Amino acid sequence: MRTGRRSLRYALVALISVTLVAGCTNSASPQSSAASTAPKVLTMGASFVIKSLDPGRTIETTSNMVNHSAYDSLVTFAGEDLKTALPSLATEWKISADSKTYTFTLRPGVKFASGNPMTADDVKWSFERVQNLKSNPAFLLNSVASIEVPDPQHIVLNLKESHTDLLAILSSASVGILDATLLKQNGGDASANAKDLDKAETYLNAHSAGTGPYMLQTYTPEQEVVLVRNPNYWGKAGKSDRVVIRNITESATQKLQIEAGSLDIAITLGPDQINALKGSAGVTTKASPSATTFYVLINNNPAVGAAFSNPKVQQAVRYALDYDGILALVGLGAVRLAGVIPTLFPGSVDSSQAPKMDREKAKALLKEANLGEVKGTISYSSDPTSQGVQVSVLVQKIQSDLAAVGMTIALNGTTRTTALQEYRDGKNQIGVWSWAADWPDASNFLVFAPGRTVGKRAGWLEDASPQAKDIADTARKAESETDAAKRIALYQQFEQKLRDFGPFVPMFQPAVPYAFRSNVKGVTFNSVWGVDIYAVSKE
Amino acid sequence: MGLHRFILRRVLLIIPLLLGITLISFTLTQLAPANAVTANLGEQAAADPQAVAAFRRYWGLDRPLHEQYGTYVWNLLHGDFGVSISSKRPVLQDLKQFFPATVELAVTALALSVLLAVPLGLLSAARRDTLLDQFTRVISLIGVSVPVFWLGLVAILIFYAGLGWAPPPGRLSADIVPPPFVTGFLVLDGLLAGRTDVVADALRHLVLPAIVLSSYGLGVITRMMRGSMLEVLAEDYIRTATAKGLTSRAVLMRHAARNGLIPVLTVIGLSFGGLLSGAVVTESVFAWPGLGLYAFRSATSFDSPAIMGVGIVIAMIYLLVNLCVDVLYGFADPRIRTA
Repeated sequence: MRTGRRSLRYALVALISVTLVAGCTNSASPQSSAASTAPKVLTMGASFVIKSLDPGRTIETTSNMVNHSAYDSLVTFAGEDLKTALPSLATEWKISADSKTYTFTLRPGVKFASGNPMTADDVKWSFERVQNLKSNPAFLLNSVASIEVPDPQHIVLNLKESHTDLLAILSSASVGILDATLLKQNGGDASANAKDLDKAETYLNAHSAGTGPYMLQTYTPEQEVVLVRNPNYWGKAGKSDRVVIRNITESATQKLQIEAGSLDIAITLGPDQINALKGSAGVTTKASPSATTFYVLINNNPAVGAAFSNPKVQQAVRYALDYDGILALVGLGAVRLAGVIPTLFPGSVDSSQAPKMDREKAKALLKEANLGEVKGTISYSSDPTSQGVQVSVLVQKIQSDLAAVGMTIALNGTTRTTALQEYRDGKNQIGVWSWAADWPDASNFLVFAPGRTVGKRAGWLEDASPQAKDIADTARKAESETDAAKRIALYQQFEQKLRDFGPFVPMFQPAVPYAFRSNVKGVTFNSVWGVDIYAVSKE
Repeated sequence: MGLHRFILRRVLLIIPLLLGITLISFTLTQLAPANAVTANLGEQAAADPQAVAAFRRYWGLDRPLHEQYGTYVWNLLHGDFGVSISSKRPVLQDLKQFFPATVELAVTALALSVLLAVPLGLLSAARRDTLLDQFTRVISLIGVSVPVFWLGLVAILIFYAGLGWAPPPGRLSADIVPPPFVTGFLVLDGLLAGRTDVVADALRHLVLPAIVLSSYGLGVITRMMRGSMLEVLAEDYIRTATAKGLTSRAVLMRHAARNGLIPVLTVIGLSFGGLLSGAVVTESVFAWPGLGLYAFRSATSFDSPAIMGVGIVIAMIYLLVNLCVDVLYGFADPRIRTA
């Protein structure tokens, strides 16, 4: 066996040397790559939610963040504030007394990244394209009846009815202003048949066509988005030469990378990672309030809700939940909600007015309902986390809270799309869901009114009861009220009524946890477009 | 039967198999309790009948099912894999982007596991019950039983976060501008573009995930190799060869190893398929934008052209690898060739 052994030894030595050579290449190249880089590169990690980078077709979190830095809208909001609209491409605006006509004055001398001048015709074209594509963000401009261009510096929007939330809506990156001249050359169409004729999406997934501080250099689906500075930007130039946003689906991997310094900002982290990162040298953790409402949906339709369609049982659920325990569970910065409107918006009701846990009352209500043993199933999406909230843990807490007052609850967690389908079809007996604002205004949350989008999902129609009719009426009044103070009062009435009655049990608004290296400044998280990349600088 | 006819028959078998795969994945997509509308339209758009109708019309989802499938197969026969609902690009273009990343990873992992496992198994069998044998057996047991997901995180924790030897997850460092897309294999594209920085960086990024991914194959192949060699070494002809006065090296390499390798070939072939699916988990831990991530996204967005495209590619790989294994049998053992 002597010779055999020797040859095997040779083989092993050869293998080890190959590994060592690989190891050497390994340690040699970081220096060479570090030495050759002078440009300022900002690296961000996110679990991608991008269906498209065409503003007219997307309204997802990651694409909104990218598009917010490549496309300017008429108005904007600063940092985490969602209350005061600020000028962007529009320098000033006039809203008619009946809130049916909005007139904007455009910023003079603005050029697109291509060098084309930005005029009111581009604004009209961009808005009409969103309307006529009939895609994800089309609903944003549902209230707009017609768009007029009196001169290249002015644009007039005529609404079908009075709406005071249009200004907030116009801050969305989905209604950002596109370079009409450039896009028409690349398949863009804004005519009534745009949904069939427009072919600009492919172009927009490879190039941006806006006036924003950055422009899209490359987009590799599921991999990365690279932005570079827009040389024609009208404001002060962006502070990074290159912004690389990497798709890192695993939160644990994001945590390790921010610790080691190969990521400057990590925005998809769970509570575990945030706790572990606290005290890490060179890393700052933060949680920003999210304009999202987490709530329990109870089906009011007897065919689906069974015992839970009984208003007394619905009230029992409201008083059975241990809200303090739930808040402790969902992470730092979460805020108890009295109604369905997040506290970020005027019109919400203060947390102190929220119902408190009262198990005796819950048991008494169940006894009054006299239905024997109350059994039900909670459906939810079993995806790991939603806005830093572990829904699968949350539903277990709800299950045990309801068990404490004598209800027997089964859990039914399925993958997101399957769960979403059941929920949209109104087939959840009990569901745990969240509703996120698409634009910064309380009007987003009128969907909970009887007969509207979420109301229907709970099988709750206007004619369900006199209270339901009353709530639906309040929603309509709030929506069309033009006086600011009266409007807020109406929204608060809507909130109070939903707090006291109906098939929804609002729980809390979460805070989105994220982390960044301590040499990175200006990081904020706004729940509509995430991080404002333009405001970020790296020292 | 000649080798040519054998290969031809196997290749012809691919066509009905592919049709079967597309039919099964298309049917499963239809049977699932959700659909592309829910997966791809936002809350507000899904509640708007006009937006839903526009979406269904655009993607041809308003046509009868048999017509949808028929069109797909007709286009497929013309080399058109359709357009992905989620990426909106031709599926073929998507596959060209994601597939090389996975192949790069899987081939490196397979090479690593074969290069290490075959000699280790051989050595371990030749030196049965020695310390080396025990060590090899423990290593292979770990390889087989440790989940890749966990191993990946631990490896990143130690070699990247702890020691700083490995680069961060991903295929390329953020400060390196990728070379123009030619083959999709970053190492190759780097070479073609004459960019040594890209080649070095891509190789660095490849090392850790490939080692992690190779762990399972390493375990299985080592065990198989050891077991098979032990069996062969107990055969009469080995004793005869030794009695004839051949050196132990000649007995081991020329007589035993060749026969011992036959069952191992099957395992290697199968583990390549396993590597492609194991890559899904590894890809997610290492932020490796490969077929696994693409398949996951396609499945969750009910993107049937993309799901079918991935199915076809993976099936083709399985079929080709198995064909290769069958042909290689013939070289390892001439009796199989003539049978």
